[in-house]
Amino acid sequence: MEDIKAYIESGILELYVLGDVTPQERAQVEDMAHKHPAVKAELAEIERSMKLYADENAVEPSEDLRNRVLNSLVTNLSDDRNYKSARTMAEENDNIIPISRARSNTFFKYAFAACFALLIISIAALFSVYHRLQESNNLVASLQSQNQRFANQTSLMDSELSIFRDPSFKMLKLQGTPKSPSSALMVAWSPRNKKVMIDMANANMPVNDKDHQYQLWALVGKKPVDLGVFDADTTSKGMKEMKSIASADAFAVTLEPRGGSPTPTMDQMMVIGKF
Amino acid sequence: MSKKRKISLSEEELVLALQQREKIAAEALYDMYSASLFGVIVRIVNDEAIAEDVLQDTFIKIWNSFSSYSTEKGRLFTWMVNIARNLAIDKVRSKDFKNQTKNQELENNVTFIDEQRNTVYKPELLGVKDLVEQLKPEQKSILDLVYFKGYTHVEAADELGVPLGTIKTRLRAAIIQLRKYFN
Repeated sequence: MEDIKAYIESGILELYVLGDVTPQERAQVEDMAHKHPAVKAELAEIERSMKLYADENAVEPSEDLRNRVLNSLVTNLSDDRNYKSARTMAEENDNIIPISRARSNTFFKYAFAACFALLIISIAALFSVYHRLQESNNLVASLQSQNQRFANQTSLMDSELSIFRDPSFKMLKLQGTPKSPSSALMVAWSPRNKKVMIDMANANMPVNDKDHQYQLWALVGKKPVDLGVFDADTTSKGMKEMKSIASADAFAVTLEPRGGSPTPTMDQMMVIGKF
Repeated sequence: MSKKRKISLSEEELVLALQQREKIAAEALYDMYSASLFGVIVRIVNDEAIAEDVLQDTFIKIWNSFSSYSTEKGRLFTWMVNIARNLAIDKVRSKDFKNQTKNQELENNVTFIDEQRNTVYKPELLGVKDLVEQLKPEQKSILDLVYFKGYTHVEAADELGVPLGTIKTRLRAAIIQLRKYFN
């Protein structure tokens, strides 16, 4: 009993209550309190008086702190209930570093934003390139059709030019009759090739209506031979190949019903020319 | 002071409710102990805003580590005030705290805060103020240094320039004095 009284009077119990003891001293005090009711009672008395001393020196914290604190506890409360096992694991596992997780989160956030921005730019670029491609395609198409037109024109002119270059062609100018004095149709005829061409370029033939067509005739020993029909309008300026004939003394054009006639209508003769 | 009705439970009820992590336990815990714990914290850190942060941390720590408390180890308040004191001391010794506050004269602190704040008087403690003032000055200074300034008794011995044994004796005498008054 003397030991216990000395232990109580050593002041260690006061230091224990004030938290000012080493872990060894703490264990010793708790052990003593467990074994000896007198120590336990003494501790209770010290604790009670310290509590009352603290109450007497209490300072009321500001009103809004209560909500702040309770909110943080209630947040923790729900955390505890939902993630109790995860929390325990995290506490046991020292190498779990929460900050790295937060860092990677922001990294992925920025990475995602960058990817998204890149995607937007790419789509815009794609649209612009697609638009230009479309323009280029249109240009190529129009150039091609233009090229085709030039090629056609060139080959046409080539064929026309070849007629004038061919020495076997004879050129004959059919003069206008009183019915159409201003008309003058050029006929190119090659007896060897049996080819007859008419040149509409400066023919100045009156425009025929829908029901009529001009018909070219060759006079072979006073006998008219049909060489085909043609139309005259403001756009016809090229050369036209007619039916072939080997020999002719003269050429004439009459206006006939559409499709032509077996024999010429003499009073409708527009132009005539003789060799 | 508070417009809301404060929740109060017996210590046994509170401990049980805390163990079951009930919401009402958190409210009762705060209402019953915030002022007393704040009184200790604010005397250590000397700054109300910082003291409020520390008080919040204290309650969070109490709440989260409540499983480590057992009634066999003593009263709930003893356990809590030690948590509060340790957090407050950690705060005072932390770098950012040292950067923002200047050292202040020790002796002035307790009375300075008491003058600054309205301390809370409880009916059962009416008249106690006088009795506490009957503590011998050397008893009061050692008690306040350890209890309200977070000094260890070794540091207090250094500060006051008296032997360790004397510190222990005076501390015990001071607390016995308190016990007499509270009885």
